[in-house]
Amino acid sequence: MLLALALLLMADEPAPPEPQSETRFALSVTDEGAWAAALRVPGPEAGNLLLIQPSFSWRNGQRWRFAASLAGVGETHGEASAQLRVKETYLGFTTGDLDFSAGKRILRWGTGYAFTATGVLDPPRNATDPTDRLNLNEGREMATAEWIQGRHALTAAWASAGLVQEHRAGMRETVAFRYNTLLAGFDTSLIVAHDRGRTTFTGANFTRVFGEAVEVHGEFAHRDTSAVLLGGKYTMRSGFGAIFEFYAPGAGRRYAFLRAAKSRLRELPGWKEWDVAAALVANLGDRSRILVLDVTRRMGNHLSFYAHAQAPSGRKWRSEYGMIPYAALVSAGFRVQL
Amino acid sequence: MRFLIALLMAASAGATPDAQALLRQSDAVRNGWPSFVVRVKITNFEAGKSDEEDLFEVYQKGTERTYVEFLSPRDKGRHLLMLGDDMWIYLPDTSRPIRITPLERLSGNASNGDVARTNYAIDYDAVYLRTETEGGAECHVLELTARRKGATYRRILYWLRATDARPVKAEFFLASGKHTKSATFDEYQQVGGRMLLRRLTIYDQIRKNSHSVMEYSGFAPRSLPDRIFHQGRSDRF
Repeated sequence: MLLALALLLMADEPAPPEPQSETRFALSVTDEGAWAAALRVPGPEAGNLLLIQPSFSWRNGQRWRFAASLAGVGETHGEASAQLRVKETYLGFTTGDLDFSAGKRILRWGTGYAFTATGVLDPPRNATDPTDRLNLNEGREMATAEWIQGRHALTAAWASAGLVQEHRAGMRETVAFRYNTLLAGFDTSLIVAHDRGRTTFTGANFTRVFGEAVEVHGEFAHRDTSAVLLGGKYTMRSGFGAIFEFYAPGAGRRYAFLRAAKSRLRELPGWKEWDVAAALVANLGDRSRILVLDVTRRMGNHLSFYAHAQAPSGRKWRSEYGMIPYAALVSAGFRVQL
Repeated sequence: MRFLIALLMAASAGATPDAQALLRQSDAVRNGWPSFVVRVKITNFEAGKSDEEDLFEVYQKGTERTYVEFLSPRDKGRHLLMLGDDMWIYLPDTSRPIRITPLERLSGNASNGDVARTNYAIDYDAVYLRTETEGGAECHVLELTARRKGATYRRILYWLRATDARPVKAEFFLASGKHTKSATFDEYQQVGGRMLLRRLTIYDQIRKNSHSVMEYSGFAPRSLPDRIFHQGRSDRF
């Protein structure tokens, strides 16, 4: 009995102490070739893109944080070019219920999938690539203060018009405030923002899940005109999911977005490594549209191959998606992740 | 100890065990402290051969708040937040949460729910069915029925060792009644004076030659601030 007790005590491992600091590192290398069919403007029909994207995060206890995310971009599109982009680099500090941060960072306040009306600090949303499939979105240089207490979060942000890339076209200095809470299952935000030299922006957004399969989201915003976004997602037990959005950004413009996707095509060897998605973006005003297809095949834990295709249609040169100067664009590539 | 005494008294009185108390006791093997962190590695096997591997760091506070950081190379930067029945996923390089439906927690042999929802006493109502021998040990068999939409399964048959309420085996059922998975609780470890789960195997009952092994390591109590469980917080790491 005593021997058994002694063995038991010996087998007792102490719980590991809390680390003083923690780091995370990731590296992604992507190479993609793209081909345009029926190009309507002079230029190369094919190109190649090489992306080397390291990211690093460091946290010291619950007080200090630092994050950096870079993208080395090598492009061959007729001519060869290379550049280094800083997607995010910021320092964060926490005291009590307050989080502070300063630096270049990506914030997303909009709840829309393909469009946003309230994402005043978000990177520009591209409805034909809402997931930013190449991870090339860049943040804005900003300082933020966030107070979190119970269910409530209040964020204040000041974003420059571009400290490093001097005054990017169309970008203005922004001061923004957001109040976020979860109330009766509604994840709700109220947003007020002011861009230098423009009228004040006010907006609100929400997401809510109903039952096991339905998610509904919406955004409402007003500046010079009113904008409305309503959307939803339906998930089936098989893993098939569909997203729908209707977006009216004002001035009579209206858009619709529909995406159907299935990750892990079937739960069978040789099938579960495949993800497929098809999306349609339509400008309901000029009736132009663009069809987007994505297929991904994972090969183990580090390597994946993918293909992406988009086919615009609409009145040539006289509609939004008819302005796109090709009949189809097909890209295929691979990604290595460490 | 108090639980054992209560159990022995109940047994000597000829009463059926308190199923909900047994369930609360069994939850302790995956929830060692009120606030803790654990690393979970999941290896999927097809026809006995390993074909997928996932690694997660799970932060849990109380019974309602779980935050999961995805650490596998292809999913690095992803995070999952569960607040009661509400769930969000955070994609890499974005601090905006994407609201997900309860059904989206079910992909793979071991689902998000298997990783993040381990307080069965909160998610299920338990009924004592019988006592029988399983894996060489006398076990109480409980039937668990989901009491909330965030519960991963609709019904579970749960075998708990009679001596200490340690889980031995489970069978998981969908709303359709289909027997979808089985699990065996293979190994335990003593950490910080507590008996905690080390290894769990989940067998796919629809595709019989597929199974997943979940390995738990680095169980440790942590003082986790409330703000890391707020869906609106911008910083995820």
